Amino acid sequence: MTAPSESASAATPAVRCRSLGVSFGAVQALRDVSLDLSPGRIHALVGQNGAGKTTLAKVLGGLQAPQTGEVRIAGRKIPLGDVRAAQTAGLAMVHQHFSLPPSFTVAEALELTAARKGGRSLYRRSELHQRWQDDVAEMGGPTVLATRIRDLPVETRQSLEIVRALAGDARILLLDEPTALLTPAAIDQLFERLMSLRDDGVTILIVLHKLREVAAVAESVSVLRDGELVLGPSEMSEVSEAQLSDAIVGPASSADRAIGKGPSAEAAQDTLLELVGVSCRESAFELGLNEINLRVESREIVGIAGVEGNGQRSLVSAIAGLAPIADGSMRLGGVDATRAGPARRRLRGLRLVPFDRNSEGISRSAPLWLNQSALRLIGRHRRRFPLISLRQYKRQAAEAMDLWRVRYDAVGQPAESLSGGNVQRLILSRELAPGLEVLVAAQPTRGLDFSATNFVRRSLRELRDGGAGVLLVSSDLDELFELSDRLLVMYGGRIVARFQAPYDRQAVGDAMTGALR
Amino acid sequence: MTGGLQRVASTAVLVVFSLLLTVLILWVSGYRVGDVFSGIIQGAVTATGASTSTIRWAIPLLLIGLGVVIGFRAGFFNIGGQGQFYMGACCALAVSLGWREGPAPLVILCGTLAAIGAGTAWSLLPGYLRVRFGTDEVLTTLMMSFIGALVLQYLTAGPMRNPSGTGQTAASERIPDSFRITDGSGVSTTVLLLVGGVAVLVWLLLERTRFGLAMTLVGRNPTMARWQGINAGRVGLATFALSGALAGLAGAVELYGPGARLVTGFSPEVGFTAVVVALVGLLTVGGTVVAAVLFGGLQSAILFLPIVTDLPPPALVLLHGMVAFLVTIKFQAVWRRTGPGAKAMAS
Repeated sequence: MTAPSESASAATPAVRCRSLGVSFGAVQALRDVSLDLSPGRIHALVGQNGAGKTTLAKVLGGLQAPQTGEVRIAGRKIPLGDVRAAQTAGLAMVHQHFSLPPSFTVAEALELTAARKGGRSLYRRSELHQRWQDDVAEMGGPTVLATRIRDLPVETRQSLEIVRALAGDARILLLDEPTALLTPAAIDQLFERLMSLRDDGVTILIVLHKLREVAAVAESVSVLRDGELVLGPSEMSEVSEAQLSDAIVGPASSADRAIGKGPSAEAAQDTLLELVGVSCRESAFELGLNEINLRVESREIVGIAGVEGNGQRSLVSAIAGLAPIADGSMRLGGVDATRAGPARRRLRGLRLVPFDRNSEGISRSAPLWLNQSALRLIGRHRRRFPLISLRQYKRQAAEAMDLWRVRYDAVGQPAESLSGGNVQRLILSRELAPGLEVLVAAQPTRGLDFSATNFVRRSLRELRDGGAGVLLVSSDLDELFELSDRLLVMYGGRIVARFQAPYDRQAVGDAMTGALR
Repeated sequence: MTGGLQRVASTAVLVVFSLLLTVLILWVSGYRVGDVFSGIIQGAVTATGASTSTIRWAIPLLLIGLGVVIGFRAGFFNIGGQGQFYMGACCALAVSLGWREGPAPLVILCGTLAAIGAGTAWSLLPGYLRVRFGTDEVLTTLMMSFIGALVLQYLTAGPMRNPSGTGQTAASERIPDSFRITDGSGVSTTVLLLVGGVAVLVWLLLERTRFGLAMTLVGRNPTMARWQGINAGRVGLATFALSGALAGLAGAVELYGPGARLVTGFSPEVGFTAVVVALVGLLTVGGTVVAAVLFGGLQSAILFLPIVTDLPPPALVLLHGMVAFLVTIKFQAVWRRTGPGAKAMAS
C-alpha cells in the first residue's frame, strides 16, 4: 500500500460537515457550522462553556440530530442522529463523563459497552479476558482485566474509555473534554497515547478547555463561540495564543470587571487560620490527614498543590468541621476551633468554596434566593421576633447576585437552571460577602470557561488585597503558580514540601508525585 | 405561579379520575352509579349532621397530615402517623383515668402534653435511627405503627379494659364527661380554634422562619446544608419530633373529643390516609387543609353509604387506595424529574 498523496487526502477529509444547525427551543446551540477535518491528524475544538462544543461532538457521534446540514465521513454521507450509523462509519466517541459501569470488571465492562462483533451471549471469564487482553495491553500499564472499574484510578478509566471507543475498529475518535478529571501527569500520558494513535492513522477531534493543552497536543484548532465557528480549522503553527483567546472570548466584554470587596481589615498580618499537627482518619473516599501544619495569614493566598486523592478533600472537610479532627488543633482568627461545629466556624468568618459545586455548593432544586441566603440560617437570630420577611431575603439575595453578575431571570428559579460559571458566581456571591475572614477555595475554577476562570481568579486576588486570607486547593499548577504567595504540596495525606515564588515546576511536580520526601 | 396552578390542576384531575375509576368498578359490580354519587354527597354534605361529620374526620387527618408535610419538607417520609396517633391517645387516656378527680382543664392539659410527648417519642426513635445510622424511615415508622396498634390492643384488652364492657371488641372505660372538649359529634369551637391555630403555626414555621428555610435546604440537599453550617441531623430530629407531636396531639383530640374511650383498632386508617392527604395537598399547609376536608368528607360518606345503598363500607375505601396509588405514581414521577438523582437519570 502506498501512502495517499497529499492531494487525495485534501480532497476527502475524514469528516466533513456542512451548515449544521441545532437549536434547543429558543437557544441556538449550533448555527451554520461547516468544518473539514483532514485525516490522520489531531484537531482541537475549543470554546467557552455553552459555545456548542459538546453539541457538535454529539452531532458527529450520532447522539444529536441537527435540524439542518449534513455530515460526510470519508466522503460518504451518513444518516444523522443515528449512533449505529456513526459507529459503522468508523466514528467513536469518548464522553465527558465516564460511561463504563463501575461494578463490572474491566473485561465485562468492555464486552458490554464496546461495539465489537463476535461476542457470544454466554461466556467464560477466561474467554473474555482473551478477547480483551490485547486491547488493554496496548494502553500500557499493568493488566487490569479482572479489576472492577470503580477500583481503578481515573486515568486508567479514561484510557479504558478510549480502548472501548476504538474496539469497533474506529478510524475517527471524538473526545469530549477528556482532561477535565485528569492530573497533569495523566494528561501527558493521554496525549502521548493520542499521538501514537494518530501515527497509526486515526483522526482525532478533541474538545479542550485549556490553551496550554491545545498547544501540547493539537496540530489544528477550531474555535466555537455562541454556536458559530469563528476560527479554523487553522494550523496550530499559524495562530498565536492571543489570536486564539480573542476568538474564544469574542469582542472584549466589560461585563467582568472588578467587583467584590474583601473586608477592610487592618494592614497588620494576623494569623487567620492555623492547623497544628492535625490528623484525621481516612474516609471511604479519601486518605486521612497526617500531622498537617499550616497557617494562613491575612493578605495572602496559600496554595495547596497535589495529585487529586492525596488528602485534599479530607483537609477541606476537616477545616470546614465536617470531618472530626482526631489529633492536633485548629485555630480560627486566633481562637481555638478544634472542637467547634461547622456552624461556629462559619460564624467566625470561615467561608468555603467546596470541591463539587453542584452537590456541595448549591442545592440544585432549591430556588436561587434560598441558595444565596443559606448562611443567614445559622447562628442566633438578630432580633427576638422569630418570623422573617421573605421579601427582604429575596431582595438581598437579588442584590448580591446582581453585584456578582449572576445571570438569572427570577430569584425563584431553581439553581440547576444556571450554567456552571453562573453557579460559581452564585456561590461566590454568598461566600465572599462581608463577614469573611478566611476563605478555603477548593478547585474554584474546575470546569469553568476562560472568562469565568479569569473572573474567579481575579476575585480571589482582590479578596487577598482587601485583607482576607485564602487557602486555595487546586490541581491546576498554572493556577496555583499564578495566584499563590506560598505553595504547599500534599502527598499521601501529608504536606511534603513548601515553596515560595518563583516556583520551580519541576520541583513542585516531583513533590506531587512523591519523588521528593 | 402558573407552575403552582398547573400542579393544583393536575392533582385535582387525579382525584376526580380516581373517583370515576372507583365508580366504574362499582358500576361493573352492579351498583347504581347515581345512588353511589348521591350517597357520597349526602353522606359528606347534605344529610343531617353530615358536614359536621366531615369536619370531625378532617381534624385527625389534618393534624397528622401536617406532620407528614413537616417531615417531607426536610426530606423524611414519616408514614407512621397511625402508631404515633394511637400512642398519643393511650397516654392521654392513662393520664385522664389515673387522675379522674383532678380539675378538668389541668387534666386535659396534662393529658394533651402526655399525648404530644408519646407521639414525639414514637417518632423520634425511627428519626434517631435514620439520622444516626441512615436506617430507612419508611420501614421503621411503619413498623413502629404496628407496634403502636398492638400496644393499644394490649391496653384496651388488658390493664385498661372496661371490666363491665359488653361490646364485642375490647374497649377502655370512658373518661369523665367533664374532660370532654366536644360532644359526640367531635366538633366544637375549642377544637376548631385549636386545629386552626396549629395549622397557622405550622404554616408560619415552614414558610416564615429561618428554621423552616433550613428544613427546606436539608430536604433538598443535606450535603449542601451541612457545608453551609446547618446541623442537618438536628434539623432532621426536630422534624421527626414535630411530626410525631402532631400525630400525638391528634390522638388526644380524638380522645377528649368524639372518642371519650379507646376501642381496639379505632380509626384504623387515619394515619395512612393522612399521608395521602398530605400528598394530595401537594405537601403544603393550605393544600393539606383542603385535602383533609375532602378526605374527611369521604370518610363521612363511607360511614353513611351503607344506610342509603347496600354498598359495604370497604367499597369506598377502594377510592382511598386508588387516590393513594395515582398520587404516589405522580409524586414519584415528579421526584424523579426534580429530585437528587434527576440529572443522572436524565442523561
